[in-house]
Amino acid sequence: MQFALIGTISYLFGRLFTDALLIFGIVGFVSAASVVDQQHRKLLRRLTFFAAPLYGRELARAHVIAPAAAALSVPLGYLSGAALQGRALPAPFAVALVLAALVAATVSLSSAFRDGYRAALYVGLAGLAALGLGLPFELRLAAAAQTSAVLAAIEGFFALRAFGETLARYDPLPER
Amino acid sequence: MTVLRARGARFVRDGRELVAPFSLALAAGETRTLELPEPAAAGIAARMCAAIVKPTEGSIYVGEYETRLQPPQCKRLVGFADGAGFDGDDHAFRCEIGFRADVWGLDAREAQARGRAVLDALGDGDYARGVALALVPDVALVVLDRPPGRVVSRVRALAPAAGILRTR
Repeated sequence: MQFALIGTISYLFGRLFTDALLIFGIVGFVSAASVVDQQHRKLLRRLTFFAAPLYGRELARAHVIAPAAAALSVPLGYLSGAALQGRALPAPFAVALVLAALVAATVSLSSAFRDGYRAALYVGLAGLAALGLGLPFELRLAAAAQTSAVLAAIEGFFALRAFGETLARYDPLPER
Repeated sequence: MTVLRARGARFVRDGRELVAPFSLALAAGETRTLELPEPAAAGIAARMCAAIVKPTEGSIYVGEYETRLQPPQCKRLVGFADGAGFDGDDHAFRCEIGFRADVWGLDAREAQARGRAVLDALGDGDYARGVALALVPDVALVVLDRPPGRVVSRVRALAPAAGILRTR
């Protein structure tokens, strides 16, 4: 559904978004928001994983894989819409866009275990993290794709560490 | 053999004491009830004993493992049935059993058979399904969060060697 929606928007309005930062920002923010909607928050907080004898890294992996895979529908939808419209984006740009969505989704996961403004801050941070990956392209650096990939690795590493800390500190209390 | 030991275990959140300090010791094959003034406190205390929620003060040991320092080792010994039960459909129930079989290193087919057999013994319903999931592995401690009716006696028949703690 998300793939079709983003693909349609990209197909219809993609020509309006030529700025690399804008594309990365939109994809990043939408990826981040998609991970932590109400339904996903409820699924992520369910007891199954917390009651299982999983170590921190296993618990983080168990939580990350599905939302990150689902978030891929955002950049893939955008790229598909662009390709259908005859604006196929270069492969390095496309790869960086996919990485941006994955990083944004990983950062955003920490918001699923927080409430109120703290949760919103993480979604904002996720969008900024994705914007950071678009900066090399916006600045038209010679090695934009490589720089973006290195940034993605660094951001992703810290995002996973932060998510592990979030899980370690989270106490799944019963709902009132 | 003591399967559960709590000493002055207390839970505080945002400066508010949600679970007053409690202490208990539970041996294998024994059944005990932990009474708390509110349902929310009972739910939290059950999760503390199942190593799902860390106590703010005090200590809780499951077997020889401390719940704050070694939660995975503790959880391996515990079957926890949440007060809300399991509200998924048949397919979700089978997936949950499969997950437990994978995490506890059990044979998948035997785990499915075990889950189904326990559910048949308990009758249907969300809570029964939750207990059935808790008893898929062979656990030393069963923690029942606010069990209804005669669940405790039926669980005792299904897990005669386990220590059973219920909260109320």
